[in-house]
Amino acid sequence: MASDSPSSARKVVVHLRATGDAPILKQAKFKIPGTDKFAKVIEFLRRQLHRDTLFVYVNSAFSPNPDELVIDLYNNFGFDGKLVVNYACSMAWG
Amino acid sequence: MDVGAMGREAQKYVWEGAIPLQIHLHESEVTTLPHPSPALVLAPRMGYLPLLLPLLKPHFSSTLPPGVDTIWFEYKGLPLKWHIPTGVLFDLLCAEQERPWNLTVHFRGYPGNILTPCEGEDSVKWSFINSLKEAAYIVNGNCKNVMNMSQSDQVELWYSVLNGNMEAYQRVSSKLKLEKVGDQYVGKPNSNLLKSRTNTGETDTGGPVKTDKCFTLRDAVKALLPEFFVEKTLIDEEISRIELEEESRAPSDDESNTRNEEDVEEKQRENVECCCPSDDAVTKLKLVRIQGIEPKLEIPFSWVVNNLMNPEHFLHICVCVKVPQAKPSPHDT
Repeated sequence: MASDSPSSARKVVVHLRATGDAPILKQAKFKIPGTDKFAKVIEFLRRQLHRDTLFVYVNSAFSPNPDELVIDLYNNFGFDGKLVVNYACSMAWG
Repeated sequence: MDVGAMGREAQKYVWEGAIPLQIHLHESEVTTLPHPSPALVLAPRMGYLPLLLPLLKPHFSSTLPPGVDTIWFEYKGLPLKWHIPTGVLFDLLCAEQERPWNLTVHFRGYPGNILTPCEGEDSVKWSFINSLKEAAYIVNGNCKNVMNMSQSDQVELWYSVLNGNMEAYQRVSSKLKLEKVGDQYVGKPNSNLLKSRTNTGETDTGGPVKTDKCFTLRDAVKALLPEFFVEKTLIDEEISRIELEEESRAPSDDESNTRNEEDVEEKQRENVECCCPSDDAVTKLKLVRIQGIEPKLEIPFSWVVNNLMNPEHFLHICVCVKVPQAKPSPHDT
């Protein structure tokens, strides 16, 4: 499927990882269109966890701007074919 | 003047750079007659528009309708992304460098479907610190240096940006030990602007031979936008514009890094609708603007990065490209 899609529909595998006392999702891996903004990932997490206050990070390091494209984040910070996104209910990494 | 002194002078100009703004309150929020006059503000290039609230609120407060302030700005109908430095917004959106720059301010009706939420100075500070962490992550592979900053250092860093205080900024940021970029040369295998090959299993074995040619701004832009450096058959064209914004961070000068990784973050946003260029058309780079200047493309990229980058350690390159419009076919009515 991935090889037949035009580049504009290329999807990125996002691996959602709970941090601290954040609830663990039943399904933690998702495919999302690369052209989507990171805001979509944040929104998805908010809906799934029924929480408005969430801190979302990439590679346990920094919080990307919600405007950034998922494909850009994957190209620069992804590894092993996926983008690791950590979420916490309180500020985890300063 | 030696090269170091020239660099410091350039940094001083950049830090002191400001955009003259003429800010009009949106009609829908004017409840008194006569209309308030526009506010005239000198906004620091390195700053952010929401930080102007303390200057603007007193000017317009007597005429605002009741409600909670959620400040946002627009230029010719385009809501402005508040997390982009003021100077970058100006360079990107105002090809003709309109002075003063006429903006419209709103204090109500925040367009939550277009702009990410901004709750004042704290939001801007959070965005700034995270951009700095992102840069640190790219340069060092982790952002421990930012996370390990003492509380007082973090506060001082933010205030230096808030107040446009270059000396204070350099004092604190030097503790971060984000290395200055060393001179780079074309042909070195660890040129950090090349795409990662690890996904496809290829390695960059056929790398170009190392030459003495310095890695210039042109080389950097070409690596990021190769499609605008391909010369094809010239045809009659009318000019239409795409304005792209690119952010590229300072490449690491770590000599022992032999990985080929794309560490440059590329963001392209089309602000103007444009048809796709035809195959045998010429698309050309019309101008490259950094901190409001159009640097000679021959300048060593390391100098550009070290002296023209923003406090969050990102170099913002605004690019204007010339794209030919599709010619109407003979059968069009």
